[in-house]
Amino acid sequence: MDTGIIEKMIANVGLGDRSAFSSLYDATSAKLFGVALRVLNDRADAEDVLQEVFVKIWHNADRYAANGLSPMTWLITIARNTAIDRLRARKAPSEGEEAVVSLPDPGPTPEAAAVAASERARLDGCLQELGDDQAGAVRGAYLDGETYQSLAELYDVPLNTMRTWLRRSLMKLKECLSR
Amino acid sequence: MSEAPDHSHDDDVLAAEYAMHLLSPQDRRTFEARLKDDPGLRALVAAWQERLAPLADEVPPIAPPPAVKAALMDRLFKEEPAPAPGWWGRLALWRALALASMAAAVVLAALLFVQQSAPGQPVMVAEVAAADDSLRVLARYNAKDGVLQVSRVTGKAAAGRALELWLIVGQETPVSLGVLPAGKRGQLTVASNLRPLMSDAILAISDEPPGGSPTGAPTGAVLAVGQINSV
Repeated sequence: MDTGIIEKMIANVGLGDRSAFSSLYDATSAKLFGVALRVLNDRADAEDVLQEVFVKIWHNADRYAANGLSPMTWLITIARNTAIDRLRARKAPSEGEEAVVSLPDPGPTPEAAAVAASERARLDGCLQELGDDQAGAVRGAYLDGETYQSLAELYDVPLNTMRTWLRRSLMKLKECLSR
Repeated sequence: MSEAPDHSHDDDVLAAEYAMHLLSPQDRRTFEARLKDDPGLRALVAAWQERLAPLADEVPPIAPPPAVKAALMDRLFKEEPAPAPGWWGRLALWRALALASMAAAVVLAALLFVQQSAPGQPVMVAEVAAADDSLRVLARYNAKDGVLQVSRVTGKAAAGRALELWLIVGQETPVSLGVLPAGKRGQLTVASNLRPLMSDAILAISDEPPGGSPTGAPTGAVLAVGQINSV
């Protein structure tokens, strides 16, 4: 998806333009639904969260320009945070839920894909430098909403070890990405 | 990434943990309280969010069910002024009329605009007309540059009111293409995201306050409707 177009849509949504809001939904809801579903692994919850995400977008779009984020980062951050809040609010972790059926990926535009691919390639390279377990923990926290506690159990290390591990991995990642 | 020099390594770690959503609820609240008055700290968080966002690239987009959008739109906009009562009922009737007048529209509009048509350009036309001919607007759309030329043949806006042109695809909510110019002829540029929709849509004209509908949806009576046809 073209960053400039999304940015323009968000600006118009900030002005209360409903048709821009509808277009923004059409352009980005599949990506944000994917992100929410990955965290929650439950369709009904992810559908609820997606609505909540777009309610937040509608109410906060007028302040988007001030936060300095690229448009997709802003949208993904809202989706991810809302999904993780929902995940943490669940009484018990969901287990044994049905696997989520994915629809075919419509795919980004070629230009957007090229930009995304280069950012992604850089990140992948830096994740590789961290080592498999460390990279897995970063991914698990970001994409699946894992906590220090759940990661410590998953990798079978003490909580404080996981904390140190992950913090160090993040700072290494930053250093690598700034090279 | 540049960052504020007055922030320690510890703050950067906290910003990373906040961006990752790894802080405990209490630490998260404490950190958010600090964020409010600390632009430097907000910049650290933004840098982390930007750095980490490509992780989401590996998540495939999955189309949500259409009912989610409908529920969302209801939730946000339902309590606000809805389109005038009977809008859709009238539209169904208009739709039928629009289809009936399709052939005539093609001939008419082709004739009217023929002198402006360069050969080989993808051109569509519509006759947007009231059943009693109290308002008739011919529209000619050039898909190449997105320019929609409009020519008002009969009728005009009521005193102190404006005519607004709408694009309607299937059962979707009408999308505004803009207010018709006050003069008999003029042109509108169709937004690039709407251009692909033009080939299979209906144009409608509604009666609106000056400057067009304040809500983004038609608020006044639908005065005329017409199907878009390829020439």
